[in-house]
Amino acid sequence: MRSPGTRTWCGPRLLRLAPLPVLCGCEGRHSWLAGAGAEARAIESLFWPFLIGSAIVWTAVMAFAVFAYRSAASDKGERVGRAVILWGGAVVPTIVVAMLLLTGLLTLRALSARSPALTVQVDGEQWWWRVAYRVPGQAEVVTANEIRLPRGETAELLLTSDDVIHSLWAPALGGKMDMVPGRTNRLTLTPLTIGSWGGLCAEYCGAAHAQMRFEVVVTEPEAFRDWLADEAMPAAPEALSEGGGLDAFLDAGCGACHTIRGTEADGPVGPDLTHVGGRGRIGAGLVPLTAANLSRWISHTDDVKPGVRMPAYPDLAPEALDRLVAFLMALK
Amino acid sequence: MTYPRIIDDGSVWIVIMPPVIWAGHFLAAYWIAAVWCARGMGVLAPAAWAILALTLIALAAIGWIARIATVRYEGLLRHEASIADDRERSRERFLGHVALLLCALNAVAVIFTAAPSLVFGQC
Repeated sequence: MRSPGTRTWCGPRLLRLAPLPVLCGCEGRHSWLAGAGAEARAIESLFWPFLIGSAIVWTAVMAFAVFAYRSAASDKGERVGRAVILWGGAVVPTIVVAMLLLTGLLTLRALSARSPALTVQVDGEQWWWRVAYRVPGQAEVVTANEIRLPRGETAELLLTSDDVIHSLWAPALGGKMDMVPGRTNRLTLTPLTIGSWGGLCAEYCGAAHAQMRFEVVVTEPEAFRDWLADEAMPAAPEALSEGGGLDAFLDAGCGACHTIRGTEADGPVGPDLTHVGGRGRIGAGLVPLTAANLSRWISHTDDVKPGVRMPAYPDLAPEALDRLVAFLMALK
Repeated sequence: MTYPRIIDDGSVWIVIMPPVIWAGHFLAAYWIAAVWCARGMGVLAPAAWAILALTLIALAAIGWIARIATVRYEGLLRHEASIADDRERSRERFLGHVALLLCALNAVAVIFTAAPSLVFGQC
């Protein structure tokens, strides 16, 4: 039983929990301190010296302020004070800022100098990501909301947008880069750790901005090339022949917006669904891909992702919905 | 009255000129790099040489202002109580002092503005 005396510990205990909202960003798949990419590690190697240097400068300035406040006025103190202002307020900060600028610029140059082994086109749309791989001698691979990259190889991401400004950021792998309509920006990522890393839009882009997520799946290079070869294939024949799923898809008009290669569905508006069953999540990284989630996504789209451009299909007959979901899940 | 007023003793223009030179240099450097890269010229070197030349011109102009502040206005980098006196000569020395400080500040700013173009080889 808690005695009244022990209640006094509650305050400090709660205080110890206070930094949690900040610290919970320090690890995990969205953390830029996770060091899952060469670029993230380069940025981290800048961060710690900058943080320690800033702490030293801040402490020194505060110490000088206290010292100056407590000192009595004198002619000698006036001369010393002016020298401190000249050196501490002008000369030394100029040198420090010049060194910071140079270090930052050299880091940025090193990041952009890596020669890429792979080029991926990523197009930001309200509110999802169109991802296209163009490998010479191979059919173009178009997918959505999932960027697969081989471990240890530098990938060049060519970033564009068709509507408003977005910003692509996979914190664990590297820095962020804006996607500006009418421009192609270039970002290089060199993943070093296998895993599924979280990505997000880092520039407010409208109603569902906060639900505009993506996954960066890092695999071994061999597994990546196998995946790419599979993705280049048209839709799985067994899915197309399965229980009228394709008919349900076409009858509902889904093909006006979505493409399934190997069928007459060639809509360019929404995500390519040729291999949607092989993705980990739906709704631009929002919920895991399960039959139940997919069913809810189709019938109550706006409930899952408020503001989404895709219309909901609440009036779809349950049997047709089931056939549609089974069909989409089979599109591996 | 002699023109330009900048070298006419007592004009406050000597204080305004260093930031104006920095602003002009910043605008021109930004403009050169933006236009050069927007035209699809991948290699930055020619634009960087132009920005370097512009930087040297800007630094020479700031140096010229600093010389006027020192010679004509008898401005010093360090603060002296006498420049705060209510006399015409003190007022001019105050202007010289402020102009010299601004020259130092804007020379550093011009160098910082030009630094990226000297580090990067590509747009």
